[in-house]
Amino acid sequence: MVEICNDMVAITMCAGSVMVSTAPLQGDGRGSIPTSALYNLRIIPISREDAKKVIVRHHYSHTLPGGTKMCFGIMRNGKLLGVMVFGVGPFYGYKLVMGATPEDVVTLTRLWLSGELPKNSESKVLGIALRSLRKETSLKFVIAYSDPAFGHLGIIYQATNWLYTGFSTAMPLYDIGDGTLHHSRSLAQRLGSHSIRYLTQQGINAQIVPQQAKHRYIYFLDESWSSRLTVPILLYPKKECDAGGSH
Amino acid sequence: MEVIELAIEVLKEAPWNVNQIDEAMMQRLRASIQKYGLVQNLVVRQIADGYEVLSGNQRLRLLREFKVTKVPCVIVSLEDGHARLLAQVMNHIHGDDDLGLRAELIREVMQVLPESEVLAVLPETLDGLKSMASLGQETVAGYLQNWQKAQAVRLRNLVFKLTQEQLQSVEKAIYQILPEARRQQGVSPNARSTALYLICKSFLDKENKP
Repeated sequence: MVEICNDMVAITMCAGSVMVSTAPLQGDGRGSIPTSALYNLRIIPISREDAKKVIVRHHYSHTLPGGTKMCFGIMRNGKLLGVMVFGVGPFYGYKLVMGATPEDVVTLTRLWLSGELPKNSESKVLGIALRSLRKETSLKFVIAYSDPAFGHLGIIYQATNWLYTGFSTAMPLYDIGDGTLHHSRSLAQRLGSHSIRYLTQQGINAQIVPQQAKHRYIYFLDESWSSRLTVPILLYPKKECDAGGSH
Repeated sequence: MEVIELAIEVLKEAPWNVNQIDEAMMQRLRASIQKYGLVQNLVVRQIADGYEVLSGNQRLRLLREFKVTKVPCVIVSLEDGHARLLAQVMNHIHGDDDLGLRAELIREVMQVLPESEVLAVLPETLDGLKSMASLGQETVAGYLQNWQKAQAVRLRNLVFKLTQEQLQSVEKAIYQILPEARRQQGVSPNARSTALYLICKSFLDKENKP
């Protein structure tokens, strides 16, 4: 049984460098009469390369994370007006659910929708994607993060009935003096380890750059797994309680 | 704006031009000019010993190669700073194709023109072109079903981080057992992984011996 708490608690899971959130202008600047336009939205599979082109250009992070598993485009009248990317996310994400393995979960790592699309498009496309994942795969749940550093609360996850599990523990980034902040995973891939002691021994001056924790949401594709959640479900964060925006 | 045909001998490449082109792209530009002609005028400004090309330096090289004698040019009168700025504007201010609309357009083109003709003038490879043309043609359901099948047969990775010294020992052990691993490979297509498995299995067998 999952306990619902009023207070947010920090969970010892790491959001890592997965800058998961929605478009900076999500909810803003969209058309005001969405109904008919929403029916014209089409979700298509797209290549990682095509997704990267769009994300690098339009998403506020301007990066496509490593470990990308599936990419979808959102089309309307032949135009590609959005991209949704699912990937591995934080390594230990699967441990949020008892008995889960890394094969049971994907993380929504990027979502960008053009301002040309009508309001509620995020909910619409997310709903289609989740229904398809439920129907066509054996995945059990999906995780998503919203970055409060960018004013994001995860409103679309709230609108689509995800469970809110509080803040993930912030995973720091590493500065090794090459002008780029590295996630521990990419540093380990590049140098074999992100251990500060090891890097210092090798003559690399690595500094830890603390990051802000992210709101974490979880969506069960297989409802029967929801009772296995190892962390409490919390009330959704709201705009008035947060200095951030409405995302 | 003055457009005039100038003798190719008076046209000078701008020594400060930073735009570079590799041979593969040059070949596509060559094919394009051969097929469609020079459809975009060069932009030039008058200098002491002729006309300096602000936009069209690569095309100028090809026109020389084609032994063209007269070149249509737009002549502008600009000082050094603005000449350089205009060159940057002409090289870098352009829109981005919408990927969905471009895919549809490429499909239309490929329906009426042979693949070889399209590839001769566009920068994409054949695979890239086919991938682009297929955008939007696959259903989400089909894609996810294939993804699910791939997950089921996917071999699992184990990543080890080793020092040089450790690596040498591991490599040596794998190398020694590799012939046996090749014989016992079974369903695994990866002999080195099987070798590592045999080493671990041998260790466990010894450990678990009564």
